[in-house]
Amino acid sequence: MAEWRRIPPRYRGWVPLLVAVPLAVTYPFYVTGLPTNIPVILTLPTVHDSVTILVFVVMAVGLNVVVGYAGLLDLGYVAFYAIGAYTAGWLASGQFQQINFHFGAVGVNSSETGIHISVWLVLLLAGVVTAIGGILIGLPTLRLRGDYLAIVTLGFGEIIPQFVRNGDDLHGFDLTHGTFGISPIDAPGFGQTLHNAVGLPVRYDNSFPPTPDRLFFWTVLGILLLTVFCSMRLRDSRLGRAWIAIREDETAAGAMGIPLMRTKTWAYAIGAFFGGIAGAYVATFNSGAFPSQFDFNISIFLLCMVILGGMGSIWGVVLAGTILAWLNVEGLANIGSWLNSNVFPSSHQIDVPKYEFGIYGIIIVLMMLFRPIGLIPERRRKREIEEGSLGPLDEPLYEMRGADEPGAGERGESERIPRG
Amino acid sequence: MGGLAATFVIVAAFGALVNSTIEFVAYRRLRNAPRLAVLITAVGMSFIVENISLGIYDVNAHSIPPLISSANIFTIGGVHYSWDAFFVILVTAPVLVLLTWLVKSTRQGKSMRATSQDPEAAAIMGIDVNRTISFAFALAGALAGVGAVLFLVEFNIRYDTGFQLGLIAFTAAVLGGIGNLSGAVVGALLIGLIQAFNEGLSWFAPGSDWTRSLVFAILIAILVFRPEGLLGERTPEGA
Amino acid sequence: MNQAADPLLVADNVRKEFGGLLAVNDLDFTIPERSIVSLIGPNGAGKTTFFNMLTGLYRATSGTIVFDGVDITDKPPHAITKLGVGRTFQNIRLFPQMTALENVLVGMHSRLKGGILGSIFGLPRVRREEREAEEKARELLAFSGLKRVDDQLAESLAYGDQRRLEVARALATEPKLLLLDEPTAGMNPQETVAFLDFVAKLREERPIAILLIEHDMKVVMGASERVTVLDYGEKIAEGSPNEVQQDERVIEAYLGRTASV
Repeated sequence: MAEWRRIPPRYRGWVPLLVAVPLAVTYPFYVTGLPTNIPVILTLPTVHDSVTILVFVVMAVGLNVVVGYAGLLDLGYVAFYAIGAYTAGWLASGQFQQINFHFGAVGVNSSETGIHISVWLVLLLAGVVTAIGGILIGLPTLRLRGDYLAIVTLGFGEIIPQFVRNGDDLHGFDLTHGTFGISPIDAPGFGQTLHNAVGLPVRYDNSFPPTPDRLFFWTVLGILLLTVFCSMRLRDSRLGRAWIAIREDETAAGAMGIPLMRTKTWAYAIGAFFGGIAGAYVATFNSGAFPSQFDFNISIFLLCMVILGGMGSIWGVVLAGTILAWLNVEGLANIGSWLNSNVFPSSHQIDVPKYEFGIYGIIIVLMMLFRPIGLIPERRRKREIEEGSLGPLDEPLYEMRGADEPGAGERGESERIPRG
Repeated sequence: MGGLAATFVIVAAFGALVNSTIEFVAYRRLRNAPRLAVLITAVGMSFIVENISLGIYDVNAHSIPPLISSANIFTIGGVHYSWDAFFVILVTAPVLVLLTWLVKSTRQGKSMRATSQDPEAAAIMGIDVNRTISFAFALAGALAGVGAVLFLVEFNIRYDTGFQLGLIAFTAAVLGGIGNLSGAVVGALLIGLIQAFNEGLSWFAPGSDWTRSLVFAILIAILVFRPEGLLGERTPEGA
Repeated sequence: MNQAADPLLVADNVRKEFGGLLAVNDLDFTIPERSIVSLIGPNGAGKTTFFNMLTGLYRATSGTIVFDGVDITDKPPHAITKLGVGRTFQNIRLFPQMTALENVLVGMHSRLKGGILGSIFGLPRVRREEREAEEKARELLAFSGLKRVDDQLAESLAYGDQRRLEVARALATEPKLLLLDEPTAGMNPQETVAFLDFVAKLREERPIAILLIEHDMKVVMGASERVTVLDYGEKIAEGSPNEVQQDERVIEAYLGRTASV
């Protein structure tokens, strides 16, 4: 800890990054050499599963902009995920057979019907389309008070998956291919020219395992780093300050010249943008967009990541997102089988993954009650704890507010005085 | 008939106990925390409760032996009305009357309304805020219990049925105007009618695939154009 | 009053009802350029309600408010702030989890231009703007008598400093009119004197008009050029501090109710 303090505070934030990024980049090379009998967790995730994990982390970082920075409870974030995935489905597959439009797609025969746009462009377009979706959802609803906003976003999170599930017969038009989903979807790649010139892969899925998974892994790692970078830059910008000001005190923020609706809508749009990219990426990774992927539970799952990590804390959310997403794809199953063979008697075996969302519920409640600041508190809150300044003695003179003061739950009533 | 009454009492008491326990364990500690914290905790709690019933009842649907005869009472224009359907009204109407009386006329009800408007002022006026809120949660839990028995008379249930019903209940309350009892009833009836027409009519109705979308779309439209709900009053703009 | 130039703010027949309750009754009120005027009255006289209408937090039931030639009656708070009305709050409303510096930077929001893409890509224009804003914010903090607190969280500041920070934040919006809502509430006598000195200094060094709201008459007597007294939402007296102090209705209003004179 002493050495840690010697690093100038400005650079402290970079230390975990300098350790974590090389470890992550080289992960595909050493994961197969790791033991498969680690106590409790058994194994580290495969490269294939790591892609899914990182996609979830990208979304959690996006949701953090909405919930953590701007303090807007969004229970329908899964809608953005779905919009992104289906945008990829529409723009990079044979879904629309009556059209034949190709633009930069790699490894697709020019006679194939449908829209085939370069996946890189599709990722960006999916982000933009979803951001527009976020604005359209936000404009009418962001005026609402917190609890109403939560229920309306929940509504959107229900409507959009239902729409894609039933969108195979809109007056006879097949937009989403119903429960079957849109499949196959084109894979990303760099094409023959770049392959010949600098050796980049032509198309991710036309090489042999384990290469495709590795390519998808490195790409999503890049997307995540980009997301984190944008998120950090925004946090320290004029807009980021405005978001946090709104979270802290909406009325005062408005009185200081911050246009509330516009600023909140931007938070929605940015959050949606990342959700859309994540959705499109999952679609190209799975080569399909399926309605069953967009359950309401995903929204809660992502919210749990943000809360566990610490609302507003980027690194906290990345860490918590990684842990929870890993629990989702492999961890709970592994832990369950470890528990069943080592702890629970054979007569009382428990199917641990079945209780996944109960476990998330417990995490959410425990965090809100006992550590509302999360695993890695946001920078400003951490400073507050380190300095041990939890407010001056005359604290009762003003109103306590903010989603997130440490120990907000424990503050006694005696410390509180009605608003003047 | 005695068994049926006992079922109602036991289920209502259990609902009251569960709900006030949740309030005591979780929400009470967050009394001074921001709204967001309470909302998030409530979401977490709903998942915990749901998973407890998953642990007990597993993923299969369950039903109970018919409590009420489904014999026909009367038929109007080809529509058969049976005892078990009539029974719902038979229970709901007195419960609503009782609830209205409780909230409007009793001391406890007045404390409740005072607390919801301004907990601090209520406390100054000598109202035991904690007890009042506990009571409100117990009351809500008991009503949910009564509703559950009524639901069970007609339908199968599964561990997650409550989540969907809870959402519809919330939608109904918002639709009618939060804090307004008759509003909630109107909201719930409206949602029921929308659902029935959507699934029953063959013209102009998109069908049962779209029911939830339709309900939520209407909720969103109402919140956007009349955020105080159908029967709610426009409160003076607060700072 | 200055008859030659148009006043900075003109409130004409402004009325506010909450349900059936009349909070402000057809009030006429003007603030000349570069003046310092006060609005006083017992608690519940409608001062803060009127204030909230000037800043767009409440919408007037009837009447018009014109600021600097622009009708602001139906404008939202942020638009009014952008036109040049800065305010503080009666019960301090800083952003508790932001540093003093960040609080002031938030106040500059409407004067800065940095957009999303510019911030993400770190364009030189945006970086320069941020640097200059920060410099200016530090100057404002120093001007407001806040030393060595730039990087402290607002909620950890001493009470008097929080009041000053609120003023610094309001000044950061570059107001032509600064509205102070009971700025000395909760201060001890020394802090009050120091704060009033600060207001006087502010007035000398910056070309702004100040509206002071108080329920404590003593506070405004020395500080203001003109005093308006409200009671039950109505103007009962207006004039120089001396005139107002001798007005019988004012004395009655204050002594007849819980008074702090």
